[in-house]
Amino acid sequence: MKEAKKKKKKSETSIGVSRNGSISTVGVLSVYLINGLFLAVGFWVARNRFLVDLVSDPSLTLFLLWSIEFPVVVIIYSFLRKDPEKCSCSKAVGRSILGLISGAFMNALGAIALGAPIGAQYLPKTIHWSLLMSVFTFVPATVVFGASLTDWHRVFASMKPSGNIEHMILVPAYGAIIGGWFGAWPMPLDWERPWQEWPICVCYGAIGGYIVGQIVSLCLMLFLRKHKSLKVA
Amino acid sequence: MSTEMTCTRLTILTVAGIFLQIIGLSIFVFGFFPVKPTLSGVSGSESYRHPLCDPAPNKNESEIHPEKLRLLYQESSGISSRYDRLILMVIDGLPGEFVLGKDGQPPWKVWKESMPYTQSLLASGDAIGYHAKAAPPTVTMPRLKAMVSGAIGGFLDVAFNFNTQALLDDNLLGQFLRIGWKMVMLGDETWIKLFPGLFMRHDGVSSFFVKDTVQVDKNVSRHLPNELNNDDWNLLILHYLGLDHVGHTGGRNSPLMASKLKEMDDIVRTMHLKAMVDRSHDQGRTLLIVVSDHGMTENGNHGGSSYEETDSLMLFIGLSSNISDYAGATNNLAFQVDLTPTLALLFGVPIPKNNVGVLVPGTLDYLRDFEQLRALELNSWQLLRLMQAQLPNSLFEGFSCKCFVDGVCEGFGTDISECSGDKEKQLICLFRNAAVLHGIWKSKKLTESSAAEDFNRALDAYNAFLKTASEWLASKTTEKPVFLLGLGVSAMILSCVVCATLFLSLFKEVYNEPKDQVCSLNYLLNLEEVFILAVLLILVISMGSSSMVEEEHYIWHFMVSTFYLLLLFKTVKSFSFSKGLNSLGEYRIGSIFLLLISGRLLRGWHQGGVNWTYFPDISKWLEQAGGSYVKWIQLISSFLVIGLGLFTLFRTGSNRKSVRIQAFVFSICGFLILLHAWRYKGDMFGTDNGATVTAKVIYLLLSISAGGGALVLPWSMLKKDKSFLAVAGDCLYLIGSAYVLCWCLLQLLLQQPINSGPILLLLIQILASSCLSSKDVHVNECVEIAALYYMGMAGHFALGNSNTLATIDVAGAFIGISSHSTILSGILMFMITYASPLLFLLSLVMYIGEKLRNHSHLAHSDTDLGQLLKLKLGLPCLVPLCINSILLTAYTVVLLLMRNHLFVWSVFSPKYLYVCATTVCTYVGVCIVAVTVAYALSVTTFLRSKTQQLVVDS
Repeated sequence: MKEAKKKKKKSETSIGVSRNGSISTVGVLSVYLINGLFLAVGFWVARNRFLVDLVSDPSLTLFLLWSIEFPVVVIIYSFLRKDPEKCSCSKAVGRSILGLISGAFMNALGAIALGAPIGAQYLPKTIHWSLLMSVFTFVPATVVFGASLTDWHRVFASMKPSGNIEHMILVPAYGAIIGGWFGAWPMPLDWERPWQEWPICVCYGAIGGYIVGQIVSLCLMLFLRKHKSLKVA
Repeated sequence: MSTEMTCTRLTILTVAGIFLQIIGLSIFVFGFFPVKPTLSGVSGSESYRHPLCDPAPNKNESEIHPEKLRLLYQESSGISSRYDRLILMVIDGLPGEFVLGKDGQPPWKVWKESMPYTQSLLASGDAIGYHAKAAPPTVTMPRLKAMVSGAIGGFLDVAFNFNTQALLDDNLLGQFLRIGWKMVMLGDETWIKLFPGLFMRHDGVSSFFVKDTVQVDKNVSRHLPNELNNDDWNLLILHYLGLDHVGHTGGRNSPLMASKLKEMDDIVRTMHLKAMVDRSHDQGRTLLIVVSDHGMTENGNHGGSSYEETDSLMLFIGLSSNISDYAGATNNLAFQVDLTPTLALLFGVPIPKNNVGVLVPGTLDYLRDFEQLRALELNSWQLLRLMQAQLPNSLFEGFSCKCFVDGVCEGFGTDISECSGDKEKQLICLFRNAAVLHGIWKSKKLTESSAAEDFNRALDAYNAFLKTASEWLASKTTEKPVFLLGLGVSAMILSCVVCATLFLSLFKEVYNEPKDQVCSLNYLLNLEEVFILAVLLILVISMGSSSMVEEEHYIWHFMVSTFYLLLLFKTVKSFSFSKGLNSLGEYRIGSIFLLLISGRLLRGWHQGGVNWTYFPDISKWLEQAGGSYVKWIQLISSFLVIGLGLFTLFRTGSNRKSVRIQAFVFSICGFLILLHAWRYKGDMFGTDNGATVTAKVIYLLLSISAGGGALVLPWSMLKKDKSFLAVAGDCLYLIGSAYVLCWCLLQLLLQQPINSGPILLLLIQILASSCLSSKDVHVNECVEIAALYYMGMAGHFALGNSNTLATIDVAGAFIGISSHSTILSGILMFMITYASPLLFLLSLVMYIGEKLRNHSHLAHSDTDLGQLLKLKLGLPCLVPLCINSILLTAYTVVLLLMRNHLFVWSVFSPKYLYVCATTVCTYVGVCIVAVTVAYALSVTTFLRSKTQQLVVDS
């Protein structure tokens, strides 16, 4: 996550742009519902079409999950992107793919630093896991912010999001990361369950954290709005 | 802060807290780990009488002539003894799997083919083998004690393993001596230390030179032909150490293993043919028993409780039991302690008092029915006596002496009751059943011919009782004196509170000073501080789970890497893009990436723990790739360590003579270490004199340059153009880097060659973190010190240590020691095991120097020495002490709660020993830091006041 900004700033330094209109809480809820729905669709396809699940074939399942979720996320969030006049749809898609790959790279590095196993048999699993994580964390942000480093820094590092869109990007992304971090906990235990393998329980943790993050961000938005209206009154 | 705390008061309180902790810890340790047997005294002829009957007037049996005593025992036991002589061959570290196979499978082909004669004996039914399960700790001395006394020894025996003391409890050898046996001992001198003056002839060999795998066994075997021709002994003990040494140097699959097994097989053949088959001499019948004291892991270590380590061998040769097939002869299970009652009954001596073993089934098959039942009865009586000492008398009410002797009790009848209820009642009931059935069999034997069924019922009843009683007694050894434990724990909790209070008050004082820049009024707990506290909490919680204790290294590595990532996050957060990039930021990011990469490499170096040791790791990969890679790693690491160390020494810019001398000495040491590694580690089994001398020279040089540097440097650092604090800071930085470099070089010498890589990585981590702390990342000082402590612990596991005793590197503990010295090799072993935590504690000197240098512009120069010491030295000393005392106290409570856990002896107790050793390590490290810093600062203050005096005078 954090490495992202550092890498980016070397390549390009664009200046933040004026903010687009915001989104209502109901809109956020529907976005989250669509996200969750397609995540469920991914699991369903894996289970019923390919007859695999995370335990039996993590690579394939993760591939299905992220490849179904990715277009959905790109389409939804490109409606919310900043400066829609300057940035065409195709450009948004292009940079989302770039964001997917670089985000996956960051996530993989982070996971390896925290002790993810390195080895030929783990490589596809790590790649697919990090792509899924990237869909959760990086892709929405790249679609919305583009390469605006100041926005990235303000939202992710300083954690000062403004408006619903930034909230709805920030909180689930951190939720997924923290969830994945906690998901790694059962791995060293000697319960001898198949799901203790890398990256299965980390995936569960990340997805769980993502969903919790969505709920938290919804609550936050409701709370903040009430707060604001109180202040105004 | 309302009450100002002076430096003296702080010191006194801290020392008092530490003393309280030490006292509490020692009280707890002696309370928790059983050191005393339950019954005192020695078994005599009373063991042939029923325990519930009135004891006969105690004749002083020690005055009876041995021969008479032997006859008395034989008469009262009622079991005929068929053997006159016993050969006990102990093969140190031989896993039962090598001879008997595993899970009903025959042993591996290599092993089987290496021992043709033993295998043929097993196949023909002349020998019967048992997988004898040894109790942890699987180290030699406690296991020998268990074999001859039948008692499960106290856990602290491990601590005394290097300081063998005479075994004073009732044991088999003492019993044999009382009936006038003559005993000969050849082999491991542990026996001689356990039984001083007991052997008629002995030739002890030392287990000191672990690398000697050949001569150590030749020294035993050279006496064998003579002894086998002699007929003046009754017991011949042979203890071969070579196989254990082969394991320690090369693991189970060492190329030397096959030839060592062959050698052992030849010895078995020689003894079997000469002493047992060939009856030309009138020596009486001989029984040959081959046992091993413990097994070994895949790497050849032992000490823990894995199947590989506890699976020892018990092989009876010449027992003429009626087993003829190979599977029947190899697929038997027993416990190591079972050897004691079996031998006692086979040779007609009383079973030692504290024995918890039971007769090995199948060893007495040659006896007649009544003798077999009598043997079981004697074993049961002995266990019942032991139980009597631990059970309230009320349980035995209603059982009169007559009741058991006649098998008819008032109110009970002769029927067999189903045994249920709580464990104690169940035991009594099982015993009663057995006694009653025995009585029935006895009364019917004369009248009825079909007594076979009754016999079998009695046999089964006895076996049921023996098994349950043995298990119950074994678990009872963990009984604890509650008062002592409570006292110890409360003392430790009190000291923990003292430490925490001191820390908090000092913390408040340091950060509430308006002068200090680090603090601001809107100071709040930030992410790193919360995380550091959370790590402590997580560690305490994880201690409660046995698998987390086994896999503790995952927690440390995971937490430390997460901490690095948090640092990275913080650094990124502090970027401001309006100003563009600055080199400072690059520097910090670079250091953090260095920390992350080296941390990941360290984590991958050794796959530690218990459950996942078979996973690939860097060390396995390097060793498979060939020895030359390891050598290259060693060479490169040594050069880089020296280079980095010299760079750090000269980084202060001070080019004084003393620094140059130090640098020169370190270079020479590095060269000598390379020489030592290149010339002497090549031949694994050499006990070269040159190696010892070189190592001694290295020790001398390193201690002179580190100690001398610390003594001399503060006197020579005076500079007029610099502020006093900057000078002191420079000086401490130099001393600290000399300490760190010296310690790294020492570890390069002592550690296994494969560990030289991690040593380099640890040094890099220290330098990177000192770089970070000097670059002002706005991280709280306590957080930095705590993080250093955590990194030290992560490095501890990265060097291949774990929470089992098996990973302690014994081979390194003898480098540079020419004669056996328990204390010296113990210290070396401690230094090897705690290399990384001590390294990070020593680096605190460097850290303090760095801080002093950076903050020398702050207005501290007018404060007095005490205040300065308190502010600069207080936290670096208190933070490690606090963390350690919290962990120690928490783990003590956990151990107390887990005292009835299944893994209390195999997982929790070894971990407790490690926790105690970590405590010692923290004390030592903090003590060195405190003394050095206090010395350097007071010398500098003294010099400054003197120069000021001079200025004033002139």
